[in-house]
Amino acid sequence: MSLLRTLLSSSNFSKLIHRSTNIRTVSIIPPLHLKEIKEIKEGNDIVISGHSFESARVPYLVKTSCDDSCPLCQLNLDIKHTDVLILSQFVRSDGCMLPRRITKLCLKQQKKMSTLVTMAQKAGLMPSLNPEKSKKDPKKRFGWKKHNKYFYDA
Amino acid sequence: MAVLKRVQQWATFARIWHIYDAAWQNPFESAGVLKKYLTGLYKPIYHPMNDCGDHIVVINSAEIALPGDEWKKRVYFHHTGYPGGATWTLAWELHEKDPTMILKKAVYSSLDKNLQRRYTMQRLHIFPDANVPSDMLKSISNQIKQLRLVPKRLDTYSEEEIKSFPKIYDYPKPYILK
Repeated sequence: MSLLRTLLSSSNFSKLIHRSTNIRTVSIIPPLHLKEIKEIKEGNDIVISGHSFESARVPYLVKTSCDDSCPLCQLNLDIKHTDVLILSQFVRSDGCMLPRRITKLCLKQQKKMSTLVTMAQKAGLMPSLNPEKSKKDPKKRFGWKKHNKYFYDA
Repeated sequence: MAVLKRVQQWATFARIWHIYDAAWQNPFESAGVLKKYLTGLYKPIYHPMNDCGDHIVVINSAEIALPGDEWKKRVYFHHTGYPGGATWTLAWELHEKDPTMILKKAVYSSLDKNLQRRYTMQRLHIFPDANVPSDMLKSISNQIKQLRLVPKRLDTYSEEEIKSFPKIYDYPKPYILK
């Protein structure tokens, strides 16, 4: 979504102000490191444009031999439900599993990862990745859920 | 008796104090290990009639872990002896009443069922947290290794560690991060 708007005449200025406030609602994007909206003033003209960022993951990506196939199948890792640094990569900030078109995993690995993510969440190992208004601290959960548990992950 | 031999004799029969951190440990797996030290089974001088068991200080017993849904499936049975006096307490309910009880019962039932059992249990000191009396801590000379790794929570890692951990995949170009 690239935002490029150029103001040519000052008579259109009020209209542009209105538009730019609309654009401002979209400007929650810059803190998410995807696009930065810049306003450049050149005399009577104001140019508002969105610049795309490079993903923060790029320098830390694991190199695999083939880009087309599933990265986890190629890496052949023995992932447990306690490996939260790996599992948290497949999860949104509210704890939802990301779909396969984004994770680029094969169906088998995707299912495997989603069961491991569920285990990690039930064991309370990823408390920061939870819905906004939920009890993030596992100690505040109800009944038996508040106690430490582990799983036998094959 | 030579001085060296005398000291060796003392050292052989002295009670050793061990410490065991029960955080994220299965109490029933741990009981088997604790039994070995409590009864002195690991000693070359061991004999059932030889009172050579050690002391164990167990800390963080409130932080024990059970596999799967065992917290709500494991039941502790008690009967008062009167009609209708039976009670069934779930593991998580018992743990909330007394966070040392599950481990204590696990060790107690793992020991041999004989007259020595009550006296052996007196050498087991369980604490729900890490607050151990200092005179007890002074006599401790050995730590028993934990059976399972304590898992590290995601929020205990620093931002930098999470960011620089190797990434499996990258987000597609038009993806909006949530």
